Amino acid sequence: MQGLGAALPVLLLLLLSAQLPRPAVAEQPPWAPGVERALDPSSRLAVGAARVALHNYNFHAASPSGLRALGQVRKATVKSIPGVGQKCYLQFTTEDYRSRENAGSCLATVLYPKKKSPPAVNIKCINTKDQKQIQEEDNRLYQKLKRQTKPITGSNIPDSFGNIEPALEPVWALAVAGSSYMMWEKSTEKVGYFMTQVKSVKQWMRKDDSLEFDYVILLHEMPTQEMISCHMRLIWLPGHPLKVKYTCDSENHRLEDGSGMESGSAAGIIREREENF
Amino acid sequence: MMSRGGGGEVPWVDNPRPDPAHPHLIFSPSQLDFWLAPRGTGDPVDVRVPFPSLQPLKAHLEANGIPYSIMIEDVQVSGGGGSGGRGSRHGGGRGLTLPRVPQALVDREQMQMLRRRRVLPLSTDAFDYSSYHNLDEIYAFMDLLVAENPNLVSKLEIGRTTENRPLYVLKFSKGGTNRPAIWIDTGIHSREWVTHASGVWFAKKIVQDQEKDEGLASILDQMDIFLEIVTNPDGFVFTHTTNRMWRKTRSKRSGSLCVGVDPNRNWDAGFGGSGSSSNPCSETYRGPYADSEPEVEAIVNFVKNHGNIKAFISIHSYSQLLLYPYGYTTTPVPDKEELHQLAKEAVAALSSLYGTTYKYGSIISTIYQASGGTIDWTYNQGIKYSFTFELRDTGRYGFLLPASQIVPTAQETWLALKVIMRHTREHLY
Repeated sequence: MQGLGAALPVLLLLLLSAQLPRPAVAEQPPWAPGVERALDPSSRLAVGAARVALHNYNFHAASPSGLRALGQVRKATVKSIPGVGQKCYLQFTTEDYRSRENAGSCLATVLYPKKKSPPAVNIKCINTKDQKQIQEEDNRLYQKLKRQTKPITGSNIPDSFGNIEPALEPVWALAVAGSSYMMWEKSTEKVGYFMTQVKSVKQWMRKDDSLEFDYVILLHEMPTQEMISCHMRLIWLPGHPLKVKYTCDSENHRLEDGSGMESGSAAGIIREREENF
Repeated sequence: MMSRGGGGEVPWVDNPRPDPAHPHLIFSPSQLDFWLAPRGTGDPVDVRVPFPSLQPLKAHLEANGIPYSIMIEDVQVSGGGGSGGRGSRHGGGRGLTLPRVPQALVDREQMQMLRRRRVLPLSTDAFDYSSYHNLDEIYAFMDLLVAENPNLVSKLEIGRTTENRPLYVLKFSKGGTNRPAIWIDTGIHSREWVTHASGVWFAKKIVQDQEKDEGLASILDQMDIFLEIVTNPDGFVFTHTTNRMWRKTRSKRSGSLCVGVDPNRNWDAGFGGSGSSSNPCSETYRGPYADSEPEVEAIVNFVKNHGNIKAFISIHSYSQLLLYPYGYTTTPVPDKEELHQLAKEAVAALSSLYGTTYKYGSIISTIYQASGGTIDWTYNQGIKYSFTFELRDTGRYGFLLPASQIVPTAQETWLALKVIMRHTREHLY
C-alpha cells in the first residue's frame, strides 16, 4: 500500500493521533501504517491476542469437552491499519483445557478496532483429538445433565482450595465456554481476562431439549487486577451455537463489600421468555 | 482468625477431614491420641501429648490465648488389659488406668494431657504441606519449626499490621553477626495462597536439607536466610473469613468507604506514577503516601536496619514469570545483563523438574507497568539480586490453584531459588 494511495490514510492517522490521549503505558515507537512487523511471541500483545482468539474459538465451538487453553505462541506479527485498528497475525499451540494434553495448533487473526467494540477474530485450528469423540463426550455430558430431575445449583466452583466437585464439572465447563464470550467481547490490546470462579449457578428447567443456566461469574481483569462480577445466562444444546446473555458490574466504583461477592448485577438482567432468548 | 485483645475466639472456618492419601494430616490418629475426639469447631478436645512436644505446644497455645487445662500430669498406664504394642507397663499403683486409651498408643513415654479447642500438628513432620492452611496454623507451624531447630531457626517480629497482628520473619542462621543475607517473602497479596503454602514448604526444606544438600549448606555457611511467610496477615485472614479474592491490606482511611492498599504499589520507587491507582477502591491503589502500610514499612525498616541483604525475592502468583526490576520505568537497570542471565538459569532449573514453562524479563516488559513495587525499591537500595516470582498457573485455576499442585510448585520454585542464592553467594558485593 505504497504511493499516493497511502497519503490520505496517513494524514487521517496523523489527525487522529493528535486527538488521542497520551498513553499511560510506556510509549511505543510509531510504526509505518500497513507494514506488518514481527512481534516477540511472548510479548503481552501476542499472548493477549492469542487468548482473545481462543475465547472466540471456545465460544463458537460451544463444546464443554472441546475447550482449549493456550499453549505457546510460536509466531506473531502485527499490522497497524490506519483509521481501523491493530491487527495481529498469530500461530500458537493449544492444550485441552482440562487434561493439558496437546490439542493442536491454530492460526488466527485478531483485529483490535480503534473504536470500542469487540475484537474481530478469525481462527482455524488443527484437531489432534478426534472430533467425533469430543461430540460423544458432549452428548454424554448433556444426557447426564438432562437426567437431573431437580434444578442443578452450585456455588464457589472451584472452591477456595481449587476443588471442583466431579458432579459439577460439566456445569463449570459450560461456564468456561459461556465466559469465553464475555471475555472475548471485553478484551482490548491492553486489557485481558481470566475466568476465576463460578460464584453461583442455578439451572432453569426448560420444556424443550436445551439446558439453561444462570451464573454469577468472577472474571480476573489484567493488568488492573480487578475482580469483575458478571451475571450470565446460558443456553446449550449440543451441536448448536451457545446462547449467552450477560451484564458485568462496572469496575472502580464498587464499594467495599464486607459480605463477600454477592451478585449485585441482577438488576441489569431482563428476564426474557424462552422463545425470545 | 484469632481476634487479638478482643476476647473470644473465632471458630475455625476450615475443618480438615482425614484423607488416607495424606497420612500426615493433623487428624491422623497415629499423630494425635484423642481421648475426646474433635466433634466440631469450638468444642473442647482432650488429647494426650508426648512429652517432647509439650513445651512448643504450650508456648503456642499461650501465645495465642487458647485456653487449656492439664487433666493428667503424667500418664502412665498401669497393669492389665490387652496386648500392648510396644508399651511397657509400669508398676501398678502409679498413675491411672484409662480404659479408653487405644492400645496401639500406649508407650513408654511420659505424657501430659491437654484439653484444648484447636487441633494442631505436634511437629513439623506431622504438618500437611499439601493443603492450604490458615493464619493460626501457619503461625503454629513457625513456632514448632523454631522449637525443633533452635540452633538454626529463630522468629523475629518486625512489626504489626493495621489490625495489630504480628508480622513474623523466620531467620535461618548458622551463626555469625549480621551476615550477608537473602530475603524471601510470600503472601504479600493475600489471595495468592500457593505462595504462603510454598513459603511454609521452603521453611521446612531449609531445615531438612541444610545438612545434606551441599549447595544449601554452603549458602548457610556464609549467609543468613530471612523468610516472611505471611507478609499480609490481615488480608490473609480476610481471604479465609470473608472474601477469597482479597488482594490488598486492610487499612481504612477516613474519606473513603473502600478498604486497603495494594502493598506492591506502596513502595518508594516511582511511587505515584503510572502503573498504580489513586483510587482507594482500586485493586492497585497505591496508598496515600509511600510506606503508608505498616506491612510495607516493617520490611523497609528491617532492610535498612539490617544493611546487609544481598538478594531480595518477593513471591506472587499467578502467571509463571520470573521478573527483575524495573516496573515503573522502561529504563533498564544497570545490572540488566547479569539479572537476565541469572533469571534464565533459574527458570531452566525450575523447568527441569516438571516441565513447567516460565517467561522472564523486566517487570515492565514482561507483565505490565507497575509503580511503587517492592523490588524496584529494594534494587534502588542497592540489593542487586532483586527478583519477583509469579508462580503457577497461567490462568486455568489462577488464584484457586488446587492443593495437589502446592508441593510440585514449591519444589520447582525452590530449584530456581537455589540458583539465585548460589549465584549471590558466589558474587557477594
